[in-house]
Amino acid sequence: MKARALALMVALFAVPAMGAASAVDERLAAYRAAGAGPFSAEAGERLWQREVVRAVDGGARSCTTCHGRDLRRAGRHAKTGKPIEPLSPAVNAERLGSVKKIRKWFRRNCKWTWGRECTAQEKGDLLSFIRSR
Amino acid sequence: MNTSIAKFDHDAVGSRQTQAQRRWVKVWDPLVRVFHWSLVSAFFIAYFTEDELLDLHVYAGYLVGGLLVFRLIWGFVGGRHARFGDFVKPPREVWAYLKSIIAQHPRRYLGHNPAGGAMVIALLVSLVLTTVSGIAIYGAGESAGPLAASLSGVGDFWADVLEEVHEFFANLTLSLVFFHVLGVLIASLQHRENLVKSMVDGRKPVDEEGAS
Amino acid sequence: MNTKIWVGINVLIIALGLVVVSGVVISDDDEHEGERYWHPSRLDVAPVDNAFYREECGACHFAYQPGWLPARSWQRLMGGLEDHFGENAELDAADVRRLTEYLTANAADRSNYKRSRGMVRSLYNDQVPLRISGTRYFKRKHHELPARMVRDNPEVRSFSNCDLCHTRAAQGSYNEHQVKVPGFAGWDD
Repeated sequence: MKARALALMVALFAVPAMGAASAVDERLAAYRAAGAGPFSAEAGERLWQREVVRAVDGGARSCTTCHGRDLRRAGRHAKTGKPIEPLSPAVNAERLGSVKKIRKWFRRNCKWTWGRECTAQEKGDLLSFIRSR
Repeated sequence: MNTSIAKFDHDAVGSRQTQAQRRWVKVWDPLVRVFHWSLVSAFFIAYFTEDELLDLHVYAGYLVGGLLVFRLIWGFVGGRHARFGDFVKPPREVWAYLKSIIAQHPRRYLGHNPAGGAMVIALLVSLVLTTVSGIAIYGAGESAGPLAASLSGVGDFWADVLEEVHEFFANLTLSLVFFHVLGVLIASLQHRENLVKSMVDGRKPVDEEGAS
Repeated sequence: MNTKIWVGINVLIIALGLVVVSGVVISDDDEHEGERYWHPSRLDVAPVDNAFYREECGACHFAYQPGWLPARSWQRLMGGLEDHFGENAELDAADVRRLTEYLTANAADRSNYKRSRGMVRSLYNDQVPLRISGTRYFKRKHHELPARMVRDNPEVRSFSNCDLCHTRAAQGSYNEHQVKVPGFAGWDD
């Protein structure tokens, strides 16, 4: 009886933790299915800091422009100045918890920062990097 | 108008013993009284709501405007003491009356005394200017009201001017109200009568000395 | 009392009564609360009551109340999210539809709050403003502010950041008495 209750409690507490991991895992699986992988956090970090110069105004952009280099700290929207909550899931439990949100922000921000959609490989590396912080 | 044989005794007026013997004469007709107190309410509602409760402010302002139109007409066709002819006096008479107040023996009038009469005109003018400038800024700033079509294209500079004019006259009216209330209090004390009550029930004690 | 007075009283009472009654009749319509003609409210615009909108459209900037622009402006904005003032704000088609519905249903031309009405009245029918801060109505209300308080103020930087100075903007109140310009303590109109 005790063992079962214990197992149940472990399972209950594990579910939320699994939930956080599962969105990323789902995405990684989708990227692998598209032919990408293996993924590495180091490659992700290099991509994170990669700068692209915009033809429109000559300004340079990278992920760090808004989110910063240290994912545990809050960032700032480059244009509006609005504070952005830390991206690190260790510091901010809401990060990387929703497949829909991951897709939305990749779609917008890759286009905004690099002028194009990110490849499956790039997305996988980036997610691995973010998750590791 | 009633007249009485009893001599008007200033000192006795306030005392309770002569209260029952007092004769009353009607001075303020019902319309001028309704006008007066409606104006008080509407003005203060407008003053305190200003831009915060804009719809209410505008309604109160329109009400003030309507009341002013009424009063201007009534000043020519209304009851005896409501007519401008009864109380509008030349400046030297107003000045002489003010001096007599300070000297503590002002003549008593049943209607508005010359100073009070001057205050009525000052208030009416100030209120008219407040209302008109208010309608103007409503048109220029909010593109609303009767002057919207003609004024909504007006530049920022003139719109600001209108706003300042409106605020100025609203505050000027408030200062005039302050002096008006002060004047009513002083006159009530000097003649030992309740002038506020007279504006409510329309009656004043008869004055054998022939106040008119 | 003589006849003249009675007639006068009756006319006055009837006139005042008509004003009051018509005001009440026109306004007393619960179904169209936001569309009342008479709407004495301390708020300038209807506050945002849609959590989805607040989250999606308030992530990067202040969640502007829909009552600040006419429906046609919101339509155009929502139809061009790939280039949203130089940013990419793309969303799934279903989300775009959902947000557009909320925005147009609560737009300035469907609202009776005082600034929504003022904004609508200040626009020509063919004007489709995309920037609230670019409208004539907005500019008139802010034109006395020196550059050092907004554009050159590092804590504000743009008129688009309403809530940095309008302390109760999120509640729908932009009352000038509640304005605090960061870095300019004690400023007053």
